[in-house]
This record gives sequence, C-alpha cells and structure tokens, in this order.
Amino acid sequence: MKKEFTPRITSFLCKWCSYTGADLAGTARLQYPTSIIPIQVMCSSRVDPVFLIKAFLNGSDGVLIGGCHPGDCHYETGNYHARRRFAIVRSVFESLGLESERLKLSWISASEGPKFARVANEYTEEIMKLGENPTRKSIFL
Amino acid sequence: MSSITIDTRASRKVRELLKFLLENGKIDAALTMRRIPENNSYDLALITDASNINEAVPLIPVMTVNAGQVLSSISTSGKKIAVVLKPCELRAFVELVKRERGSFENLLTISHTCGGVFPLDLVEKGQIEELIPKYEKTISKGEIPVNTRDTCRACEHFIPMNADITVSVAGECESEKGCMMYLNTEKAEEFAEGFAGERSEQKFDPSVLQKTLNARLAEKEKLFASMTASGPGLDQLVDTFGKCVGCHGSNSVCPICYCLLCDFESANFDYNLPYFEEHLSRRGALRLPPDTIFFHLGRLTHMSFSCVGCGMCSDVCPVGIPVAAVFKKTGEKTAALFDYVPGRDAEESIPVMVYKEEEFSDIG
Amino acid sequence: MTDSERKGAVLPAAKEPGDAVLDFLRLAITKKLADAVILPMKVPSGDSYAWILMNDISLLDDAVPIAATMPVQGAKALRSLTRKGPGNLTVIAVMRPCEIRAAIELSKLGQVHPDNLILATYDCPGAVQLQKYVDDPAGSEKRFAEMLQKGKPDNSAKPVCHICEDFSLFDSDLHFGYLGLPDKEMLVIAGSDKGLELLEELGLASAEDLSVWEKGIDQLKADRIKARKSAFKETEAQLRGFDGLLSVFANCIGCHNCQSACPICYCRLCYFDSETAEQNPDALITAASKRGGISLPVDRIMFHTGRMVHMSLSCVSCGQCSDACPVSIPVAGAFSYVADQTQRTFEYTAGRNDGDPLPLRQFRKSELPGVHELVKDADAEVSSHE
Ligand code: SF4
Ligand code: SF4
Ligand code: SF4
Ligand code: SF4
Ligand code: SF4
Ligand code: FES
Repeated sequence: MKKEFTPRITSFLCKWCSYTGADLAGTARLQYPTSIIPIQVMCSSRVDPVFLIKAFLNGSDGVLIGGCHPGDCHYETGNYHARRRFAIVRSVFESLGLESERLKLSWISASEGPKFARVANEYTEEIMKLGENPTRKSIFL
Repeated sequence: MSSITIDTRASRKVRELLKFLLENGKIDAALTMRRIPENNSYDLALITDASNINEAVPLIPVMTVNAGQVLSSISTSGKKIAVVLKPCELRAFVELVKRERGSFENLLTISHTCGGVFPLDLVEKGQIEELIPKYEKTISKGEIPVNTRDTCRACEHFIPMNADITVSVAGECESEKGCMMYLNTEKAEEFAEGFAGERSEQKFDPSVLQKTLNARLAEKEKLFASMTASGPGLDQLVDTFGKCVGCHGSNSVCPICYCLLCDFESANFDYNLPYFEEHLSRRGALRLPPDTIFFHLGRLTHMSFSCVGCGMCSDVCPVGIPVAAVFKKTGEKTAALFDYVPGRDAEESIPVMVYKEEEFSDIG
Repeated sequence: MTDSERKGAVLPAAKEPGDAVLDFLRLAITKKLADAVILPMKVPSGDSYAWILMNDISLLDDAVPIAATMPVQGAKALRSLTRKGPGNLTVIAVMRPCEIRAAIELSKLGQVHPDNLILATYDCPGAVQLQKYVDDPAGSEKRFAEMLQKGKPDNSAKPVCHICEDFSLFDSDLHFGYLGLPDKEMLVIAGSDKGLELLEELGLASAEDLSVWEKGIDQLKADRIKARKSAFKETEAQLRGFDGLLSVFANCIGCHNCQSACPICYCRLCYFDSETAEQNPDALITAASKRGGISLPVDRIMFHTGRMVHMSLSCVSCGQCSDACPVSIPVAGAFSYVADQTQRTFEYTAGRNDGDPLPLRQFRKSELPGVHELVKDADAEVSSHE
C-alpha cells in the first residue's frame, strides 16, 4: 500500500499580518491542513531568498511567504522588496528547470483568517498534485 | 566628439596614448595588462613610470583577473588613473560603483571592441603569442575565435557601453580606414588634447559589427541549449554542480561577489550534529561538507542579475564546471525581470535596492 | 600505540581491497558498533567523487572506500561534521592517510572533535590528480587499479604522492593493510585503544603476524623516501631566492583556491583576505610610484609566504592546493618542501596522534640556538649591503 503523502510546507509568516491571519483562522475554527509549518518573521522582507532555497533543498515540499498587502507593510516598503526578491528566486528556479510552483508568496492581512485558510488549503492541494519534493531523496545536494 | 585614426597596430597606439598621458602629467598611473617576457606570462599592472609603458600589452586577449574587481581597490586613491578595460571588466566596475565599491571620478576609461579572451590554461601553457595572429584575423572578419572562453564566444556586449575612449579592434582594423580610437566624452577630449593623430568627426558605428553580433548570438543560443543536455531540473543541476569541491574560487574571482566574508562561508551555515542526525534519519545519507548546491543557488539569487559574463569563474574552477555559462544564462533572465542590463549605466540602481509599487501583479 | 603493540586481523577475502573494507563496515553497522560511516561515492555525473555520510546500509553497495582521486580533503568533511562538538554519533570514516593526518592536526586546532569518530586509513598507493580524473574518469580508474596493484603512484598521481612517506599505517584508529601482501589478502590493524576495542567487539582482535606486510611497506617506503630527497633538492633549487619564488608563482592570479582547498587553512576569513591585509588605495599608488609600476592584485608573494608561516608546521603534504590551482602552479611542491624544513626545526611531524602539542603552542626556555645565529647572519648581510 502506498503511504499517504503529507506535504510539508515551510511558511514564513509576517507577524503583523499573515501570522495574525493564521491565528484568526485558528480561533475561528476554520479548517486548514497540518502541512503548513508556520514560522513567524517580523516582516516578509526578513525572508532572505536564501531561506527559501534552504527550505527547498532540505526537502520542504512547498515554501510559503505570507506578508501584508502592498501599501500596508508595517515597515512601509518591506513587502515591495520581498516581492522583488521573490521574483528573483522564482526566476532562478525557472531558468534551471526547478519546480518554481513549490515557492509561493501571498498577501494575507491580519483580518483575513478565511483567506489564510483558503490559501493554505489550495496551496496544499497544489503541492499534493506535484508530489514529494525530489530534494527529499537526493544525497548529493 | 572626435575620433583618431590609428593604424592596424591598435595596441601600439594605446600604448603611445598611455605614455603621452603619463609623460605630460595628465595621469598619475595607468592600469593595463603587461607582458612578463622572462616567464612568458602576463599580469595586470599599475604603471606609474612612462619608461615602463613598453611592457604594456593593453589589448592582449588575456584576463588574469577581472580588472574591474582590482580597480575597485584603487579607484578612490584621489590620483588620476587611465585604465584599459575589456568591456565586461568595465561593466563589472560599473556594477561595483553602484555598490559603492569604486568611483569614476578620477578615471579615464579606455575600452575596446572585444574579440574575447583565451582561457587561463592556454595562458599558463605559454601559447598566447602564437595564437594571436590567427585570433586577430578571425575577429577582423567578424568571426569568433574557437579557443576563447565559452562565455566570450557567446557575449553580445563586446562593444564598450560607457567608456571615455573606445578603440575599435574587432571588425574595423582590417578595413581600409584602419583601426579607430573614438573619444566619446568631454573627459576623453580633454585628456587626449595634444595627442598626435589624424582627427575626424566620425562616431563609432556599431553596425560594422553586425556580423560579429549575429555570430555571437547564435553561439549563445548553442551554449545555453547545451546546458540542459540531461534535461532541466534537479537532476541536471546535480549533474552540473555535483562535482563541485567547494573551493568557492568562483566567488573569489567574481567581480560582483565583493563581500569580504561570503554569507556561505559565514557561521550562518555551520551546523551542529543534530542537523546531520536529522538528515541521516530522513534520507539515510548526506554529503559532507554539506550545502554544495545551496551555495550555487544562493549565489545565483545574490548576484546573477549583475553577472557580466566575464568567464572568470569557469576559468578558475578546478573541476571544469561551466559556472559562467550557468550564471550568464540565469542572470540574463533575472536581469530581464527588471529591464536591467548589468554595467549599462552607473546611475541605475541595482534591482534589489529599489522597487515599483505596481509590478509583478502575478505575485501575491 | 608502539609498533610492537600493534594488533591486526586477517579479513575475509573479497574481490577488491575496497570490497573487504565495505564488508567490514557492514559488519560494524549491523552489530551496532557504529551509527554511520563516511565514504566516497561517485557523483551522479560519474566524473568525480563526493564524501557521503551514511547510515543506510544499502548505500554501501555504491560506495568506493578506496577512491582513485581525492576531490575534497577528507579532513574538511570531518570538520564540517564535528566543528561544533563531538555529538553522539559514532562514525567510522575511511580516508587516505594524509586526510586523517590533516584531521588530527585540525583536532589540535579545535576544528575537529574526534571523540566519537573512528578514523580509518588504508595503504595508499597515491591519488590521481583531480583534473586528470575529471578529464578521463575511465582511463584514470584503470590507471589507479594498476597503482593499487603495484602499490606505487604513476605519473597521473599527484606529484606529492611520489614523495609521501606516510602512505601507510600512521596514527589512525584503524588501518587496512594490503600492499605487499599476496593478492586479495587484507589486514585490519588497530592503531589506538578505540580501534582495538572495536576489533575486539567484532571478534577480530587476533594477533596476526604483521611482519610480511610491514616488510612490504618498508620496501615501498624506501622508494618514496628516495624520491622525496631528490624532489626536495630540485624544489630547493627552484625556490632559491626571491627570484626563484617569483618564478614559481609567476602565473598566480591570486584566487586563493590553494588556501581554500587546504584542510589546515581553516580560518573562516583568511587574514590575507581581510581588511587588515587590504592596502589602502593611496598606499598602492605610492608603492607603484616607488618602482615605476606594480603587479595586481598586490601581495601575491606575501600571501604565499605568509601562508607558509601560518600553516606549514601543520602541512600534511596532501597536494590539494596544487589540484585546486587553475594555473597549475606546483603549490604543494613548494609547501611540502618548506613544511619539511619548518617541522624539522621543531622536531614535529604533522598528523601524529602522540599528544605532541602544536609547536607554536609551547616553547622551551632554551631552544633553537641556531636562530640567534641566523639573526646575526642576517644582520651581517644587511650591514654589508649598506
Ligand atoms: S555569494 Fe552572495 S554573500 Fe557570497 S560573496 Fe557573492 S554576493 Fe556575497
Ligand atoms: S558569475 Fe562568473 S561570469 Fe558572472 S561576473 Fe561573476 S565571474 Fe564573471
Ligand atoms: S599524499 Fe598521496 S600517497 Fe600520501 S597519503 Fe595522500 S594521497 Fe596517499
Ligand atoms: S593563510 Fe593563515 S590566515 Fe589564511 S586561512 Fe591559512 S592559516 Fe588562516
Ligand atoms: S590557487 Fe594558484 S593561482 Fe590561485 S592563489 Fe593559489 S597559487 Fe595562485
Ligand atoms: S510588516 Fe508585514 S510584510 Fe512588512
């Protein structure tokens, strides 16, 4: 029998918005999958592109960044920078033929509990379709 | 701006210019390639005495270090320096200026249309002198010399982007009018005032190099295509970089990687034993030292948009990984996201320092 | 452990020496005497090897304990694993003698914590130069198989291997011996209490007579010692004086690959890459003006001589620096020669596990009488120049 695949999605969530959004989803008892492994960061711009790569190479099936909507960043412009950096990592992945679908950035505000739950569910489904990250098996990384 | 007709020995004319500048006190030093006859080798030299200029071989197709990198440690001396740079070295320096690692203020930049450079192992074997005649012939016909660096053969930025003086070597020299030296800026006119040579008002016309450009673009396509031979993706990546020995030579010779202590050599990525135990329990095995692929992917996100494709990284790789080709290919894509061309303009900001409110609407 | 205390056991015959080692490791893991092993494995592209830490016994089938070439100095692998402390895993590492010697030096420098490591070596015939291997893996494997047969390096091996006298039993916990023995015979010998304990627990502690093997090794060693003497004489002549040094390093581009491939140079930020060593731009121009010109990047000779001063007392002559040099400078030849001199001065041998502290960590009140003489000579020379 094939073992059920439970994806692991390393999620860097901004303390001021997405992390609070995730909290809200929890207190409102909205269902979202256990695949999400939340890590609180002070701002989406705290997520060094290298974190995404490290998580990916360490076998995370998906890597998610959650930040405040453009214009709403607690530090004013952090998320604009985060977006550029994300674009760079995604482009590096694409040009090397790595699965860039395993990286995701989403704007989720503190009041968007339902959006958080929806993103978590949809992204998990997407990753389920992709299957296990091949980096989980490679020993030559 | 004017131009000066020089004969087919462009190299000699550049040497004369440097000598003129030094003798007349217009500059304090000249940065140029130099030949060391007793060892049959070359180095990059900072020459202050006009009588030493005869050793200079300013246009030699050899790059022992990316001169842009070296320039970053001398450009702020306050002294006037004339520098002879290959187009990608000049572009690298522009990238460094953006990162506050140098200044154009006291520099007179001289660059040239570039036929590409020979890899260091040919230099080390002492074969350059014998290769030069054929090399010159090939580039004057708008063709690509076969034994130059792979990224040189695939380089479309062989015309200097913002030099004070452009020397045309590739393409024009064999034509009737001979090589030309174009004074592109006020600064160039000022420095070259009094320098002998037949002047005209002619401007550099890139269209004479159309044939070279086409050949280079075709070569680039071939190079990029060859890199996905075993298919794209993780397997290809491991195939390419799996034999990396982790010397990090590729970043130490890279003009863009200027960090004194690279992130990937820092304590950030030292691990304690539980890290290894965790990997053992999940995968049954892991490579030591770890983080081979991580380093290259990380470096790609750090600097590929500024990669000038100079090829230094490939040349120093002890196991022959085509590092430069990967960085050039990936870098072109990351730079294109921002309509960015590394080395185009020192006034431009590097893409990660700025942002637009409306962009990348597909992200988020 | 002194020679007379050495104990060894004959291992069951296997096809290749490497296979016998693998069988031994399988046994150790199955009996839970080790948690994991570190061995070379071919990289997927097939043209090099990588160090793999593994506890999955099925992976052993693909490991090559006695690999033809030496891409990453094994001591660096051990350092990455134990730099922050010994941890609880018992790990057997099978590496070349010069790799284990480097690991021992690094442990004295606090960079490797060997407490739970079992360091195993084998009779090393030499290693194929890395670039040669990468260019022609199949041909190199063939040549290495011949080297294994004869117990001698050929001309595809690193030059330092020809002059390596410590290619067999040195101060490892375990040693696999086979050179000079009849075909397919393999001994495992304990070099420390730790090694002895492991052999005993594996039921392999029988005190075999080692004399045949020892005699064979001594013979091979004699050749290498001879080669060493003449190589050093040559190097000495080449390196003589500043011009000699300059001409050996003439093509150096200052990439510092040699330093980063060196197992002993562990500094995260090398002094010669640091701000302290950086010249300010004005000083550079002044220096250039004094000579009419200056070669860039500056301080390449300073780097090499400085590195010799920093680390030659611990240099194990593994040759990794030469393998990493993009312009084929015989870095290892020079360093090996200098190391021989500096280590001799302190009667120190790098990589020995005999409790000898690093020479620069200690001093005796009266020692090195010759140094004063040298200083006087130097004074005399200076004054004669005036
Ligand atoms: S890889 Fe990144 S951290 Fe390292 S030197 Fe290059 S830019 Fe700096
Ligand atoms: S990555 Fe390589 S090709 Fe690109 S600028 Fe750096 S050294 Fe040159
Ligand atoms: S120097 Fe060569 S012969 Fe000596 S142990 Fe190392 S690889 Fe073997
Ligand atoms: S040369 Fe000296 S400072 Fe540099 S890494 Fe080696 S020991 Fe350290
Ligand atoms: S590896 Fe070679 S070129 Fe690089 S610094 Fe060392 S000797 Fe010089
Ligand atoms: S504070 Fe939330 S993205 Fe910057």
